[in-house]
Amino acid sequence: MCNQTVGLVQREIETQGISTVGVSIVREISEKVKPPRTYFLKYPFGHALGEPFNKKQQVTIFKECLKVLESAQKPGVIVDSPYRWRKHRFN
Amino acid sequence: MSTNFLNRIMVALYSNPWVKKRWSQNFNALETDMIPWTPLQKPLSQCKIALLTTGGVHLKNDKPFDMEDKNGDPTYRKIPSTAVQEDITITHKYYNHSDADKDINLVLPLDILRDVQQEGLVGESAEFFYSFMGHIDKHHIKTLVEQTAKDVAHQIKQEKVDIAVLVPA
Repeated sequence: MCNQTVGLVQREIETQGISTVGVSIVREISEKVKPPRTYFLKYPFGHALGEPFNKKQQVTIFKECLKVLESAQKPGVIVDSPYRWRKHRFN
Repeated sequence: MSTNFLNRIMVALYSNPWVKKRWSQNFNALETDMIPWTPLQKPLSQCKIALLTTGGVHLKNDKPFDMEDKNGDPTYRKIPSTAVQEDITITHKYYNHSDADKDINLVLPLDILRDVQQEGLVGESAEFFYSFMGHIDKHHIKTLVEQTAKDVAHQIKQEKVDIAVLVPA
């Protein structure tokens, strides 16, 4: 449900003239709620930015979200993250 | 069997990727065709930024989210953007936040944003960031969409924020 709430809040903020990007860990819900820009990761609940204290991972994911803000050209875009949970090594 | 015990079992169950996938395919989300759109107006390095989370994050001295109402709590909490890990706690029994309790950046990337700002990639922070407790269902969804989310959106606009990054639990 958190992903639905993120999408709904995101839509309200975008409506006020602010460019938004939301992280999603449940793609199916983002497809239905349709936030303006989404960065999707196949990560477990409570770990949208990655593993605890893995700063390189968290910074990378945060920067990817910022990139979506810069690159998205049409409403409803969902960018799929290439970083697999506990498979990708962040160096 | 106590409700809390049952809830703990459910939280553990939904940590399983297969269960999460099955649940999400059947989740009856609010569907819509209209998508709001505000193109980015200036370089990110000049953009004032706000963070939002639905991870049930709040200041330790603020009112916790309501865990008694099974349909959730559509209210929000303000968190000063200067807050640090020690100022913060999480009230949200619908996900396992033991890792986020130790490292709040998993659901509200306060330190990560500061790092990225030091690199000059993004502009200054808004005075306040905002937090919801994402488990919101039934009539509370209406309250969220028509009142509390709008309220937050207006406050962010008043602060002249350019961009917002939202993170779920």
